[in-house]
Amino acid sequence: MLGLWWRGLASLRARSLLSVAAIALGVALGFGVQLLHGVAVEEMSLAVVRLSGDADLSVTGPRMGLPEGLYGRLAALPEVAAASPVLQGEVRLQGHPGHFPLLGLDAFQAQAVQPRLVGRPRERLDLLRGDRVFITPALAAELGEHTEGTLRLQQGLAYRELRVAGEIAGAAPGERLLVVDIAAAQQLFHRFGYLSAVHLRLAPGVSAPEFARRLQAELPPGVEVGSPAAAGQRQAALSRAYRVNLQVLALVSLFTGGLLVFSTQALSVLARRPQLALLRVLGLPAKRLLVLVLAEGAGLGVLGSALGLLAGWLLAAALLWRFGAGLGNASLSGTGSLPWPEPWSALVFLLLGTAAAAAGSLAPALEAARMEPGRALKAGDEQRMLAPLQHPLPGLAALAVAVLLLTLPPLGGLPIFAYAAIALLLLGSIVLLPRALAATLAFLPGHGGVPERLSLAQLRAAPGPAGIGLAALVASVALAVSMAVMVDSFRDSLAEWLEVVLPADLYLRLGEGADGSFLDSLAQRRLAGLPGVARVEFLRTTQILLDHTHPPVTLLARDFPSDRPQAHLPLVSGFTPPGPGEQALFISEYVADVFALRVGDRVKLPLPLAGLPFRVAGVWRDYARQGGALVLDRAVYARLAGDTDATEARLWGRPGVSAALLAAQVRECLGSLPSQGELVEPGELRSFSLRLFDRTFAVTYALEAAAILIGLAGLSGSLAAQVLARRREFALLRHLGLRRGQVLRMLTSGTALVTGFGLALGCLLGLLVSLILVHVVNRQSFHWSMDLHVPWAGLALFLAVLLGSALATAAWAGRQALGREVLRSVRED
Amino acid sequence: MLLMILVLLLARPALAVDFPPVRPGAALTFPRDHGAHPAYRTEWWYLTGMVEGPDGRTLGVQLTFFRSRTGLQEDNPSAFAPAQLLFAHAAIADAATGRLLAEQRSARAGVGLAQVSQADLDVTLGGWFLRRSGQVLLARAQAQAFSLDLQLVPAAPLLAQGRAGFSRKGPVLTQASWYYSWPQLTVRGTLQRAGRSVAVEGRAWLDHEWSSALLDPRAVGWDWLGVNLVDGGALMLFQIRSGDGSRLWAGGAWRDAGGSTRVFQPGEVEFTVRRRWRSPRTRLEYPVALRVRVPGLVLELQPLMDDQELDARASTGTIYWEGLVRALRQGQAGGWGYLELTGYGGRLNL
Amino acid sequence: MLARPAPLLVVEGLTRVYGGPSGRPVLTGVDLTLGSGDYLAIMGESGAGKSTLLNLVAGLERPDSGTVLLAGQSLGGLSDAALAGLRCREIGFVFQAFHLLPYLNVSQNVGLPLLLGGVPRRAARGAVDAILEAVGLAGRAEAMPRELSGGELQRVAVARALVHRPRLVLADEPTGNLDARAGAQVLELLARCIREQGGCGLLVTHSRHAAATADRILVLADGRLTETVGGAC
Repeated sequence: MLGLWWRGLASLRARSLLSVAAIALGVALGFGVQLLHGVAVEEMSLAVVRLSGDADLSVTGPRMGLPEGLYGRLAALPEVAAASPVLQGEVRLQGHPGHFPLLGLDAFQAQAVQPRLVGRPRERLDLLRGDRVFITPALAAELGEHTEGTLRLQQGLAYRELRVAGEIAGAAPGERLLVVDIAAAQQLFHRFGYLSAVHLRLAPGVSAPEFARRLQAELPPGVEVGSPAAAGQRQAALSRAYRVNLQVLALVSLFTGGLLVFSTQALSVLARRPQLALLRVLGLPAKRLLVLVLAEGAGLGVLGSALGLLAGWLLAAALLWRFGAGLGNASLSGTGSLPWPEPWSALVFLLLGTAAAAAGSLAPALEAARMEPGRALKAGDEQRMLAPLQHPLPGLAALAVAVLLLTLPPLGGLPIFAYAAIALLLLGSIVLLPRALAATLAFLPGHGGVPERLSLAQLRAAPGPAGIGLAALVASVALAVSMAVMVDSFRDSLAEWLEVVLPADLYLRLGEGADGSFLDSLAQRRLAGLPGVARVEFLRTTQILLDHTHPPVTLLARDFPSDRPQAHLPLVSGFTPPGPGEQALFISEYVADVFALRVGDRVKLPLPLAGLPFRVAGVWRDYARQGGALVLDRAVYARLAGDTDATEARLWGRPGVSAALLAAQVRECLGSLPSQGELVEPGELRSFSLRLFDRTFAVTYALEAAAILIGLAGLSGSLAAQVLARRREFALLRHLGLRRGQVLRMLTSGTALVTGFGLALGCLLGLLVSLILVHVVNRQSFHWSMDLHVPWAGLALFLAVLLGSALATAAWAGRQALGREVLRSVRED
Repeated sequence: MLLMILVLLLARPALAVDFPPVRPGAALTFPRDHGAHPAYRTEWWYLTGMVEGPDGRTLGVQLTFFRSRTGLQEDNPSAFAPAQLLFAHAAIADAATGRLLAEQRSARAGVGLAQVSQADLDVTLGGWFLRRSGQVLLARAQAQAFSLDLQLVPAAPLLAQGRAGFSRKGPVLTQASWYYSWPQLTVRGTLQRAGRSVAVEGRAWLDHEWSSALLDPRAVGWDWLGVNLVDGGALMLFQIRSGDGSRLWAGGAWRDAGGSTRVFQPGEVEFTVRRRWRSPRTRLEYPVALRVRVPGLVLELQPLMDDQELDARASTGTIYWEGLVRALRQGQAGGWGYLELTGYGGRLNL
Repeated sequence: MLARPAPLLVVEGLTRVYGGPSGRPVLTGVDLTLGSGDYLAIMGESGAGKSTLLNLVAGLERPDSGTVLLAGQSLGGLSDAALAGLRCREIGFVFQAFHLLPYLNVSQNVGLPLLLGGVPRRAARGAVDAILEAVGLAGRAEAMPRELSGGELQRVAVARALVHRPRLVLADEPTGNLDARAGAQVLELLARCIREQGGCGLLVTHSRHAAATADRILVLADGRLTETVGGAC
């Protein structure tokens, strides 16, 4: 009996393989992304934990830092056994691309709290010298530096030469870090008076959480106390939305895989109906049949998942090797090696893949178990089997719930309900698909030649198998279309946004992540006085904590006319000038959403000096800073923060002065413009930004393409199977006098009809889903809005290619089915 | 007592910093000269004393602050610039314990936890401090194994060492320091050990010394002694030894019960070893029992306990003996003092 | 003899070899002539070549040598399209497995040859009604194949084979899937209709009972047709 089973199954190998591949893809993506993110998050929080050493608590400030006076106060507290002040930042090194993390330490204090990070000098006083640097072995290897060498660190517009005085022997393997004396770091970063953090070791018997609570109440706004691990988690939270979105993408491919299993299993159960009926007649109980069919699906799932786990690990390893753990997301980076996966996470994905496959074969299994064996043995009974699948109620219910879910707010900052709505929308549509197909077919006029009329008649009478075969295609097309529309909308909005935010002729950017780079007042005056410069604006970027529960937001202090900000900021709200005695503050959409601020609200900024109160004067769109940004007048900032350095200059040339000439003047004026200081024209900046965008989405594109390919392969497979199953019908038609060409025409017209319907439905669903992605998912996860933009031409081409390949498959399968042996098949039974 | 400074001085390569030399002729002015003299390379405030608890047991206490101008990052406006470093050292000697309880602190001066005043005696390092408050000196140190909290009331005037505070330390004229002592300080306060705090009282001695160039290059160590004599007098003696065991320089001063002070030339100071003790930990040998002789005074010195060795090789790389000694004068109790024996671990190799 | 009209089907020297020139010969020089109203039964073992003979006669396969003349037209010279046209006008098929299209109802299935032959809808409707009346299924014109019994299905197939009044009806084991009563009914119907319509019929079977309903019985063995005596059993 089982022999018969396996032989029946073996004939469906090709399609089963596709199901396995689909499940494998989903699992591989999910698992790969999980692994990479594990590495990235681990590295990020490990880095934070490592940098804080054995501290019981860490008091951290915003990027700008906490006032250094706080250090003395903390160190003097009786609960504090030792306090280690640090100033942390990133530097550029001459001759080495990229940024390098640098830590300024007080070796005396660090010895008690973070002894691991204290360098081992050959000469003790080197720990205190301003021109000495200690590097971790990993960094030494990376830089090709031995401990006798020198490194040139960017400071302002110049370089400062530091001698490598020794290694940080206690560094973890792979840890990249430069360590200098804390005073040297303040000088290097021009951040006198500020610290990044003070790490505390508590006196024996002091409860860290309890003390942290008491301490927090006394700390100035923006300064936070917590365990070092919590700081790492706060860092990781920044990338959570991105991570979740990638995971959802992986789940989507699993979902598609499940649908493919459903198609395969439904059609295979259909094709094997007489065999299954025979098994029932021979005495197999209905329940065992159910279990057998389910087990078949689950078996495909296990196989696919196992392959997927392997592929996912390889994928992650390859991506890690090629791009680092950030997966194209700039805010995540890491260079660690991929650890062996945790058994439980592999198990979770194995179960997910298997569950998807088992769920996909549930309906066919139930059908197989429910059939009446006597009738099923007779030919022509297939239609009855699919009848229950056409009940409209579950599908309609799913759609209704989807609409309801869309009205719900995000869950824990993530658009979980919106994703659920998308899943239900797809599921409901797929459940309704056969019925919708039947309705559409009934609506079509029965014109055309004999082949067309025959194929229409065939489809009208038996839309079930065609509808089943379409499920995976509709799902993958819908997701691909929605993704394409979302990405295109995003890209288009980004391009427009770049036009608005990059009005000047030339940009001099220094502080992009590297803390040692800035323009001091002298450099600013020199730039403003250049003969070719008509106008110059300076910008200071720093970070500031708005409250204790959220990561710091970027603060942009800009020179701009605060009476007409619309011309300089992409405002999505109107501009409401602040009242007399108030300062205007412009918040990005992220800040508006996350901090629940609206135009007109008063905001207290944790700047060193108190000044006039701030009032939200407008909300602007910001694609550049995922963690939110504030814009305020630089003069106000300089007064309140005592910081007149700038990290960016925007220059407008006098009439007749080209950007190139302007750039030459700037170079000459600054003389020592470091090669890594960016002097860019807006065109370059725009194309760079868009390139960055494309790189970020490259992974997304690749995943989508893979999902589409599988969906298409699934459609082709089921098409081919359906065509081959109709051999005897073709043979009869040939006997009755239909020409081969006519049979093929019948086939292709039917395929065109069904596939066209599937593509149209998929496209429609995709547009709906893209609306959800643009207006709900993106808004809820990243807190930025965008204008909907549909790439019609691209979509049309994409759909045409899909239709073309479906037709080609049908034609190919038809030719196979119409081979010489077809005539004999009328005598087979 | 000076060994840690010695370490720093020896360790330092030539620096392009101008340290003012110590020249005779200037006069000490107070309270200004109680405070720090940051232009000089090195400076210390050295408090040692003998106290007794309610049980009548004799204990040695010590709290020292050192300041060092490193010459590093002096042009860096950062408050963290390590131009001035502060070190502190606290110890308790208890014969019942059998060895010293000691702890050290160090920090750069300027930010928060490490400050030193230039106006009066007021030096703070991470909760440890020594300061003058009116006519009273306050000293506090809270270490992990013990803490001390003392009020010191002067019972005698300041004793300017050398020639009105100009104290020569070697054959070259510039090898000198500014140096005054404040002997016969009446001590009241509490000591805390193992969570038990006891009220103590006794007598202490404060040294304050600053200099830019102190030691002869041939020096490997020195012996120093400060004794509060029971008759109200005070004796300070030191000798600087070279590598071959010979004496490079010596000096001292004795203020007798009547208040007249006699300053000694190198040839007038004699140290005689009476007994040596070998440390079971380091195998080093220290002359823990000495006879010192100056014109008009002979004292037999006996340690409170033999093991008052300080092994700080792990942190500052130094090792020396410093402890409370009982001074016998003609077989009678003559007073209590502190004896420092450095450079017995061979030439310091850093 | 002289009054006898030209034969509808003439098969001469028909040879078919499977598997190339050195392969297994299935038919070797088969000759056969059928006139109007002739109804011939061919018997033979499984694999004797009965189905090959039918395919060759229907133009679904091409012979290695020999000719097939249907209504005076040689199949050998016709293109695939012409052969398909010929089948749809001149030949009716009945199969063992009925082969109704599951998605068409009874009258649509029966009318399929007319649809393919381009017969106007109204005329086709009349012909379908008439033939359904003749096979006794007038009441089931709208039924779907799955609703019918085996005998009914085969009667629909017979009706489909005859609806366009073909000159040649090819029946391949038409009773193989039927019980004795239904089989007898179908055979009787087939024989009657062929005679009434004036075409000719070729019945392939290995049931002597079935063969007995034909006018003549030939046996196909070793690639040749031989006449048996009187159809005795």
